[in-house]
Parts: sequence; structure tokens; C-alpha cells
Amino acid sequence: MTTLGRILLVEDDPRDVELTLTALEDHKLANEVVVARDGQQALDYLRCQGEYIARARENPAVLLLDLKLPKVDGLEVLKAIRSDERLKLMPVVVLTSSQEEKDMVRSYTLGVNAYVVKPVDFHEFINAVKELGVFWALINQPPPGSMKK
Amino acid sequence: MVHANLEQRLAGSALLRYGLSVAAVGVALGLSLISNAYGFKDVELPAFTLAIAFVTWYAGGRPSAVVVCLSALCYNFFFTDPVYTLYVSVNEIPSYFIFVAWAVIIAVFAAVRRRAEHDLLHARDNLEVANKELESFAYSVSHDLRAPLRHTAGYAELLRRQASSALDEKSLRYLDTIQESSKRMGVLIDDLLAFSRIGRAETNKAVVRLDQLVDEVVAEVRRDVSGRAITWKVARLPACHGDRAMLRVALVNLISNAVKFTRTRTPAVIEVGCVEGERNNLEIFIKDNGVGFDMQYQNKLFGVFQRLHLTEEFEGTGIGLATVQRIIQRHGGTVRAESAVDRGATFRVSLPKA
Repeated sequence: MTTLGRILLVEDDPRDVELTLTALEDHKLANEVVVARDGQQALDYLRCQGEYIARARENPAVLLLDLKLPKVDGLEVLKAIRSDERLKLMPVVVLTSSQEEKDMVRSYTLGVNAYVVKPVDFHEFINAVKELGVFWALINQPPPGSMKK
Repeated sequence: MVHANLEQRLAGSALLRYGLSVAAVGVALGLSLISNAYGFKDVELPAFTLAIAFVTWYAGGRPSAVVVCLSALCYNFFFTDPVYTLYVSVNEIPSYFIFVAWAVIIAVFAAVRRRAEHDLLHARDNLEVANKELESFAYSVSHDLRAPLRHTAGYAELLRRQASSALDEKSLRYLDTIQESSKRMGVLIDDLLAFSRIGRAETNKAVVRLDQLVDEVVAEVRRDVSGRAITWKVARLPACHGDRAMLRVALVNLISNAVKFTRTRTPAVIEVGCVEGERNNLEIFIKDNGVGFDMQYQNKLFGVFQRLHLTEEFEGTGIGLATVQRIIQRHGGTVRAESAVDRGATFRVSLPKA
């Protein structure tokens, strides 16, 4: 019996948020999605501070991380996560428009689990998001301490 | 580098420049006096000439003039009879004149050479800046242009889902066009980015086994056209000198073109071979029996996004041949094509031998 893990989607563009949520809804993966609109908000959520001070201390099953974010950008969030004892095991998937080699190298060097370039074609986009959601939120066993429904 | 530092410091300080002039004359003078004392004759002129050239190279025109004057004075005072006076006799005037003229010639040569080197370094720095700007431009294009494109395609699809019952056939066709256009724009962006990368990437030149490379490319292209009747005639190709990855891209473009434009033929005949080129080059040719092109448009053949056929007849963005030309140019070679309408085409690529 697979339980749906929580997905933290870090994305600043409201349109990409809507498209990603629609794609997840198509495959019934949207029930446990939390959206953070910039890097600072994402870190506040993960560390249970700021507006999330009352949140129970459990990590999402996966973090879908955009790179270009206001305030704290994607790579800085990644770096902060990988240096935090309580967060460093959490799976992180970079989901970005950038196909530039230097972004890929930086991301993998900082310890990202996967790097996905958002396809321009919507059907491919839906498929990619579905594959990611099914794998990371259903099939993959997240590290101990992650929340399950 | 020591040279660069010295030049920079001299450029900054007039005191240093003129100090150097005096010092250079001093050294030349000392050398000459010492050699004279040990019986070596005629060291003065070469020594002073060296001082002039050295000061012109590192400090410029005016300090050089100072060295010329000081050298002439020293030469007169210390090395011409009567010694230790500044007396110049009438029949010595021509030789002083020639000395000064000679010194000026040396100074001018040194100055011209120095200016050329400066201009080159300056141009190189400008190019580096331009290259960096281009890189960040390409990054912007790849990242920032793709997002709205993705949104256009995505929301068009959401609209289709939401309103398909309310949309008539014409409206659905308009929606199809919106989606196809954004798809095409995505392909154009990718192609343009790849093209610009070729211009900026470092080349790793080594010996490339062309026969191996062509076999690889033909095998890959064949996989995509399994249904068709194509006769391949691939000759034994020698090795050449170049960047394997780039040459691969060029060959893929040329051979896929041959495959594409022979689509109307049964069987299609594609030939890859090699002949001796001029100087130390070899010339590879790719010949097909496809639809060919009109030679009067041949200078448009290698233009970026330039096409000679309608999209309905043959798909493509028109960047393939532009990419091939850029790659071959980076290898110091040339590409040219011969064709006649409906009578196939032959593309000839010259490359340096291994």
C-alpha cells in the first residue's frame, strides 16, 4: 500500500505553479503539495520558522526546486539544505528552464538528486511532472523522518 | 608577466620613464668606457643603439628622444677626438647626422612594433569582453525566453481542455496553430543556442578517424529511417586533424540533409567519399540524388535560418548548414556545394590532413 509523500514545490512564477499543480492533479498527486514562492519561504518551511513556526517537524518526501528565485535562489537553498543536519538527506529535484551546463554542474556538485529541464511542450511537461511525482512521492522510500499521510 | 608589470609602472610615471632613459645611457656609457679600458674597440655605437631601442620599447617616443640626445653628447664627449670636449669638427658633422638618423630609424621601428602589439592586446581584451557578454546573452535566451513559451503552450492546452465543447472546428484549428507555433519557437531557440555554442566552445583538436566517425553517423541516421530504401556508398576515409565532437555534428547535419532531401526518391542513393584537396587538405564529399537546389541561390545556402524550400515540402529550421559552415571554418577549412534542381546535390568539405 503506497502512501503519498509530501511534495514541497518551490517556484516563483504563478503560471508555472498552476501548470505544475494541474499536471500533478491529473495523476492524483496534488493532495500533499505545499508551494513556496521564494527561497526564503522554502527554508522557513523546512526549518519550521517564520510563518511556519507551528509546523510539525517532518521533512517532505521530495523538494521540487526551481533555480531562479527571488530573495534566496535555488542553488543557495540547495546549499543550505545540504549543510543542515536535519535536512541534508532529503531528496531534491531541480526543476528549471535552464539547460546551461554550468547550472547542471553546480547543482550536481551541491548534491542534487535529479536535474529536470521543464519541457516547453505541455504534454511532455505533464509527463515529466507525473513521472517525478510518481517516483519521488510514491515509489521512492524517503529517508526516515519524512512525513507520510 | 614581468614585461607587463614593467610597462604598466612606466606608463604610470613620467619620472620612471625619463629616469630609465638616463639610466640606459648611463649603462651604455659605462659598458663602453669599461670595454675601451680593456682594449675592446667600437662598443659605443652598438651599446647606445641598444639603449635607444630598449627605452623606445618600454618607455615610448619622448624618453627615446632624450636617449638619442644624451647618447650623441656622450659619444661626442667621451669617444671622439678631442676627448672630454664637446667640440664637433666640420668633417664629423655628417657622421653625427647619420648617427642621429640611424637612431631615429631604430626608434621608429621599435615604436611601430610596440603600437602594433598594444593594439593587438587591446583588441584581444575587447573580444574577451564581447565573448563574455555573448555568453550571458545566450544564458538569458535559454532560460528567460523558454518560460513564457512554455506558458503559451501550457495554457493553450488548458484552454483546449476547458472549452473544447464550446469551440468549433475553426477555433480548434486556431488553437492548434498557437500550439504548433510555440513548439516551433522552442525548436528555433534550441537550434540558435546550439549554433552560438559552436562559436564559443573550445576546440579539442586531435587525430580523428573519419571512417569510424562516418560509420557511426550513418548508423545513427539509418535508425531513424528504417522504412526507406536507401543505397549507401561509403568509401574508405583517411584520418584528419580536428575536434571529433564538432566534426560529428557537421557530418550528422550533412548526412541527415542528404537523407531528408532524397525522401522523394526510390531508391535514394547517398555517397560519401574523399579526394585529395589543395595544399595539405583532404576533401570529403557527400553526394545525393535528391531534389537538389537552384545554384542561383547558393549564397543563401549557408545563411542562418535561411531555407530554399517550403516548410510543407521539407521540415527544418535552416540552421543545419550554417552550423556546418561554422564548424568547418573553425577547422580552417571550407564548405561548398554543387547542385541542379531535381538532380541531387554534392557538398564538398575541406579539412586538414592528420
